[in-house]
Amino acid sequence: MQLRKIIGLAAILILGWAGAKAAAEPRIVSADGAITETIVALHATDLLVGVDTTSQYPPQVIAGLPKIGYLRALPLEGVLSLKPTRLITTEEAGPDVTLDGLGEAGVDVVELPVAWDVDAALERIRRVGDLVDQQDQANELANRMAAAIDKVQTSMANKTDARVLVLLAAGDHGVMLAGKETAADALLETLGLRNALDDVSGYKPASREALLVADPDAIVIAEARPGQFQPADWPALIHLKAWEDGHRVTANAMLLLGFGPRLPEAMQTIAAIVPESTAANDTAHAH
Amino acid sequence: MHTEDVRRMPTPVSYAVLLAILLVAAVLALSSGAYPVAIEDLLKMMAGITPNDPTAELVLWDIRMPRLLLGLLTGAVLAVSGALLQGLFRNPLADPGLIGVSSGAALAAVAVIVLGGSGLASWTALAGRWSLPLAAFIGGSVTTLLAWRIASRQGQTSVALLLLAGIAINAIAGAGTGLLTFYADDNALRSLTFWTMGSLAHARWEDLWLAGPWMLITLIIAPLLARPLDAFLLGEPVAGHMGYSTAWVKRGAIALAALGVGAAVAVTGLIGFVGLVIPHLLRQIFGAGHRLLLPACALGGGALLVLADCLARVVVAPAELPIGLMMALLGGPFFLMLLMRNRFA
Repeated sequence: MQLRKIIGLAAILILGWAGAKAAAEPRIVSADGAITETIVALHATDLLVGVDTTSQYPPQVIAGLPKIGYLRALPLEGVLSLKPTRLITTEEAGPDVTLDGLGEAGVDVVELPVAWDVDAALERIRRVGDLVDQQDQANELANRMAAAIDKVQTSMANKTDARVLVLLAAGDHGVMLAGKETAADALLETLGLRNALDDVSGYKPASREALLVADPDAIVIAEARPGQFQPADWPALIHLKAWEDGHRVTANAMLLLGFGPRLPEAMQTIAAIVPESTAANDTAHAH
Repeated sequence: MHTEDVRRMPTPVSYAVLLAILLVAAVLALSSGAYPVAIEDLLKMMAGITPNDPTAELVLWDIRMPRLLLGLLTGAVLAVSGALLQGLFRNPLADPGLIGVSSGAALAAVAVIVLGGSGLASWTALAGRWSLPLAAFIGGSVTTLLAWRIASRQGQTSVALLLLAGIAINAIAGAGTGLLTFYADDNALRSLTFWTMGSLAHARWEDLWLAGPWMLITLIIAPLLARPLDAFLLGEPVAGHMGYSTAWVKRGAIALAALGVGAAVAVTGLIGFVGLVIPHLLRQIFGAGHRLLLPACALGGGALLVLADCLARVVVAPAELPIGLMMALLGGPFFLMLLMRNRFA
């Protein structure tokens, strides 16, 4: 009798504990590439039940997760079908109908700010840490990033004022120039660099002549997919001095423009190709 | 027209088949989607009983039902408007896009998307969440009216001139849309791309209350034009001799098409092909007479759009394809097949 009671009690406790754990375990949908990267970097991948199409890194982790579509066109029923307890995304997410509907269905919709500077990026990582209950990991990651960023910024002492041209090769839009008010411009700013296209706003279709006029000190090409940019198609570009002198780099767009955990790497990628400023350079652009 | 080549079923049977397809489409639309809803729950909810899964209620009543109704109305209106204009222009290639209503709606919608926070801020503040659909509706009406005025002189409207004016206005509106696209920032660019691909995914009850009445007006009044449009098939002068006011037939057909399509486009974005393909297809079954053709178009257009929408929401679930894309993917090859069969028959 006593034994049966004990076993029964134990069973109830175990079932209850398992039930509580199952109920407490959040199911998270992440709709933003940088946020997904952060969740993975914080070792909270197990909580992810779905991601959007801007989430592509790290590929081996993302490949197995259901894709809910594009972050600005989230499908209400599609997201609900994953039975999430929480959607973590940014202010860019939409449409409002979907976000409102998710709220009504009891999903905790968290829209984090778009982080286009170092402080905001680090703050966002801590926020994600709170949301996936990995505060310590998040603090550690943010501190590690801050140190790395500090190092990159210090290495820029002789390189500020360089003018950098950023091209975005993405989707069917062809090759775009990154002007002011873009993530690319914001990234240059974290390094104290100048956008070679400071009279352009947003992403604009690239013209060969504009490339020649820009005459940058360094060239950055952000590719949505590897191999998307074909230098041979852009003779005006490869005859620029910066290109010929090797002050150029081609890298993944999400790495460069995501402002996620790989921000120090993105900054380092650009810092590495920017030439030290010389008197000759200064006079060349003084006119 | 090749109506004589095709062996016809008796008309009531054809209608019954269309109705059956429509019914199947409706059932599919309510029961399929990314979110799994048990049949048992569906039946319960239909009977007004609370289901086991409370989220299912939201999925059925707030997502699938308005989406189904909007799909039925939109498909019906696009197909009926296509039939009206094909009758008016006596050309099976005419579709609602020709009179400028879609391009005008697109221009206005894109303007709101791109300039909503700057140049058109006062409009956004005034119209609130309706700023986009209302603007699209107004844009579509204005361009249609413009084409109409250009084609009319001394109370007479030249159908040929209307067609040409429509083409020119489409080009201008397209250029305007392109210009706005160029100035659009990244956010706006993506939103407007999705808008121009059309979608029923974000249908709400409010959209139905807003656009539904106008679409219903088109569907209810269109059959009144059936007889005069039949007469039009014999040529405008003949229709005049038969005692129809040709001026009013033209005005009526264009006003109805602009009203219905304008309202549909306003809430769904651009959905092509239905207006062209459905009348074309159904004319082979029901003949060219508009009395049979117009109601058939309403049923067939609604059924096709709802079926396409079912596919759009399941093929890449939990994501969704834009329905405009789906229509072209399904409709294009089908239409080609139809043409080839006719040619070689």
